[in-house]
Amino acid sequence: MTPNEKDYMDRYIYQVIRRLPKAQRDEVRMELEELISDMYTDKGSMEEVLTELGDPAEFAKQYQSDQRYLIGPEYFDTYLWFVRVVFICTAIPILGISLINAIGEMPAVTSQSAAPVIIRAIVSGLTAGITDALLSCVTAFGAVTLTFAIMERKKIQLEMKKAEKWSVKSLSEEKKTAAFRWTPKFLEPVPDKKAMISRGDSIAGIVFIVIFSVLLIFAPNFFAAFFTEGETVTTVPVFNLEQWGIVLPAFILSLLIGLADEILRLIVGVYCSLVMISNIVCGVLQILLGIVVLKVLPIWNPNFALELEMALGDKADSGARFLTYWNADMVSNGLLTFIVAITLFEIGATIYKTLRYGVSIRNEKNLGA
Amino acid sequence: MGEEKDLLSTLLLELRRGTLTISVLSQMKEPKYGYALVQSLEEKGVAIDPNTLYPLLRRLENQGLLESKWETGGAKPRKYYQRTEYGTEIYEKLKAYWQNLSAGMERLLREEEA
Repeated sequence: MTPNEKDYMDRYIYQVIRRLPKAQRDEVRMELEELISDMYTDKGSMEEVLTELGDPAEFAKQYQSDQRYLIGPEYFDTYLWFVRVVFICTAIPILGISLINAIGEMPAVTSQSAAPVIIRAIVSGLTAGITDALLSCVTAFGAVTLTFAIMERKKIQLEMKKAEKWSVKSLSEEKKTAAFRWTPKFLEPVPDKKAMISRGDSIAGIVFIVIFSVLLIFAPNFFAAFFTEGETVTTVPVFNLEQWGIVLPAFILSLLIGLADEILRLIVGVYCSLVMISNIVCGVLQILLGIVVLKVLPIWNPNFALELEMALGDKADSGARFLTYWNADMVSNGLLTFIVAITLFEIGATIYKTLRYGVSIRNEKNLGA
Repeated sequence: MGEEKDLLSTLLLELRRGTLTISVLSQMKEPKYGYALVQSLEEKGVAIDPNTLYPLLRRLENQGLLESKWETGGAKPRKYYQRTEYGTEIYEKLKAYWQNLSAGMERLLREEEA
């Protein structure tokens, strides 16, 4: 082997091993030195040998038996579905909040300038909203992809553990494991159309909860009575903003419980005992938290009626006059009744649909019978 | 035209992939180094490119079917591969399966000719 030929061999080997994991490089280098010098002895020309071995990149690919993908076919469909749902649940709330924000920051409206001001506010809200929504979608995409990539790795690791345990011995013991084999009995009945949970409803629920939570956290002053007096806008907040630090956590906890329930419904997609139990537990917790928030915690602005009267001043015939009859206890009771009624109705509907149409409950039939 | 060629080479690759493992395992009762294996397979009419064989040998070793040893006594270091006991067990099973399969394939393809 001339020094020039040796140099070409080293170049070739370098091009292969630089594409391999560090741990393999030294040994593969020795293997290739052995192979190439054997072939050289056989053929007598380095050019012929390296031409026969072909592109080093292709050679290196043969060594890389590990998975070369982030999310495999097994997870891919679920992944796509998740990306879509997460996009909707990210983009819509952000757009909505940007619009609300823009309208909230709108300068006072006089009757002549109303239309242009409102349009300008909507346009600026939309612009900000679309930018933010795009950015958040990129972030959300990254987060979902990362989660699925991790799931993919974990699964691969699990499979590798299984493969290690597998042996010829276990092949001959196949009959023993036959009991765990798939049989037609594993087939779940096709869910009744009425057992399907509407994805649209779940997504709408999630979007609403997210918007509401963000407003409660970042803009509780948005929930207020607005008045315009000439050029200035007066707001009288409905909530007790001074005590907000105490009220907010309970409020948000209640929303998070609702969110968890909606997400479970979205993922499971049909009425079954899991969805029913989750709905009952979450519903009861939400009612309890509702009582805490509305009856125990200082949620309402204690001076609402007073401030309102001051803001209204002499405009006795204002349409908002009736608000001065504000009574915190009455509002609390009314809202609580409303929440309890809605929650109980939802639990009732879920129980009814689960028992009537739900999966797994009708699963008792036998194939032969 | 190019597509047809790609399809054919993909199908051939798939067809060959499994047979390579049996071919290699069949030759590994006694220790052999890589290029000797390339030559002996070629002589017997089952040619394998070295750039397929070397990575395959490593994979089979990782799977516990082969074991390897570096011989440093000679003019240059050589890596010798040999079937493990486990490799022999698997090889016997693969062989039985292959014989069954090729008999069946033979019948199928004859039928087509007749």
